[in-house]
Amino acid sequence: MAALGGLLQLAMISPAAVAQSDRQLPTVSKECGEFPGADTPLPNSAAALRDRKQLKILAIGASSASMLGGTRDSMPLLEQILERSIKGLDVEIINRGVSGELAAAAAERLKIEVALNHPDVILWQVGTNDAFAGVPVEEFETTVKDMLQWLKKHHVDAILIGLHYMKQLATHDHYQAIRASLRRLVASEGVLRIGRYESTEILARTMREDGHPEPSNFGLNEAAYDCMAQYLARAIAVGLFAKPPPPPPPMP
Amino acid sequence: MPRQANAVDFWRGFALVSIFVNHIPGVWYERLTHRNVSISDSAELFVFLAGWSLGLLVSSRSAPTNSALLVFRLGGRAVTIYAAQILISSIALALLASAAYAFDNPLLLEWHNAAAIFQEPALTHIGLVLLSHHLGYFDILPLYVVLMLTAPAIAMLDRFARPLLLPLSFALYGAAMIVPFTARTWPVEGQWFFNPFTWQTMFVLGFVLSRNIGLGAIVRCHIDWLRIVALPIVLVTGVMVVMNWFPDPTTLPEPKLLFLNGKSFLTPIRLLQFLALIAVFSAVYPLFAPHVPWLTEFMSSLGRNSLNVFCVASVLSLLGQIIRYRYVGSFVLDTAVVLVGISLLWLTATVSEWRERQKSQA
Repeated sequence: MAALGGLLQLAMISPAAVAQSDRQLPTVSKECGEFPGADTPLPNSAAALRDRKQLKILAIGASSASMLGGTRDSMPLLEQILERSIKGLDVEIINRGVSGELAAAAAERLKIEVALNHPDVILWQVGTNDAFAGVPVEEFETTVKDMLQWLKKHHVDAILIGLHYMKQLATHDHYQAIRASLRRLVASEGVLRIGRYESTEILARTMREDGHPEPSNFGLNEAAYDCMAQYLARAIAVGLFAKPPPPPPPMP
Repeated sequence: MPRQANAVDFWRGFALVSIFVNHIPGVWYERLTHRNVSISDSAELFVFLAGWSLGLLVSSRSAPTNSALLVFRLGGRAVTIYAAQILISSIALALLASAAYAFDNPLLLEWHNAAAIFQEPALTHIGLVLLSHHLGYFDILPLYVVLMLTAPAIAMLDRFARPLLLPLSFALYGAAMIVPFTARTWPVEGQWFFNPFTWQTMFVLGFVLSRNIGLGAIVRCHIDWLRIVALPIVLVTGVMVVMNWFPDPTTLPEPKLLFLNGKSFLTPIRLLQFLALIAVFSAVYPLFAPHVPWLTEFMSSLGRNSLNVFCVASVLSLLGQIIRYRYVGSFVLDTAVVLVGISLLWLTATVSEWRERQKSQA
């Protein structure tokens, strides 16, 4: 509801912007469960929509191509949904994922990619490789935090794609520690995280309760990636129109 | 008999050990490799020395005088490297699949760009064969294949139009940097990690500088002065790396690639720093080699068998990553992984030379 409320705020944000009838909030299909993200504003992307009617999205991190969804022969599902939902919006997606790359290396490359491509929003799939490589949690947290602050300073929105859910990893201490670290970062830096782990976990639990066995590769198929594209489309659409948080009250 | 230890083989062995360690991200010993104090790393050294070896081969007495034969021989080398890339990629995929089953973790099937192979095998296999799909950390041999495919053209230019070779190489480098352009990956949309249009310059520089004619001769003639110029570059850039003193890439003038530090495009700062580094370190080998013969022989044996050792190192580094994932990296585990890995690299070199000896005796 908050998202819909935010949507209605568009006219206040930009009277010259797209007419209300030209957009609709992308839905997340029933099979994908609840949208696993908060209604976090994307102010730089909103400005791009207002000024250029164009949105440049840079995807970085492991499996960044697959999280965009869709088939090889068509444009990424994320792009399709966004352009369908917001009439007249031109979405450009640049994929710069390097598989196996740790957050520190991706962060260095990200600065270069921002300088070269001038994206409005970054989709950063981060954490899995660091968890597998045993990167110390503090080191990981500092790297990602510094990068998020750098992006904010350079007027680029960021959406973090959280770790995969895998029941076998529920007891992997380091994997869970990195996951917790991402949650802390989201809270402290006020960025949007797509809680893929939580949403898939809920879906898996529902399956079990309904008496269906949970496949061992649950969440790692085409359908799961299409869900991710739907989550992202919704997150971006909501972020474009969400009301910015009120400024902090003046100090007494 | 294998050739005696020498500086080129030594540094090639050094590059191979560094690549092995650097390709196990997070391993404790990663902090000891020279990239922690240098803008360029072992990838530059590996490609430069590959070009150097090509130069030695083309100028050696055993090189065919007949151009067609030389082209045929160099083309054959490219096919060998291509076959090596296909082999190690297949082994890497099998390793990932085995680990996924053994540890009941299908997420490992997605590691290192392997997801497309398992989820869309038909198209991605075509991509693997066409070298347009690379697994993470298995992306330097595709560059080497492309460079070796251009080796006949380099050799012919060197033979018939030598003054054109370096200008043509730098023209392509500059164009790729300014336009910019690179090779695309397929079916997973993306870019080659090592842009072959820019990295070819490193290969050509290795080729040209290995010769006792042209630029190579000029450099040898003035190497002492060059080292005096190079030393401050190495020191200052070393401090820049340690202190992370690099300008914000967004503040750099256009075309930004000419000014920033980027590995994929082998930007000029990396190229310049690398040349300075080799100018300085080419003076070091004669100083320490007589005092540590066991080390020079060890590294040189790796360097003499670089393709075999590189292939085994690539597979072992992936195995090291899997072991670190399963047992959670620690100093003790990392020490064991690196020591066993380097021992196996030595075994690979020893067996390769033993086979060569058997062949020559037969």
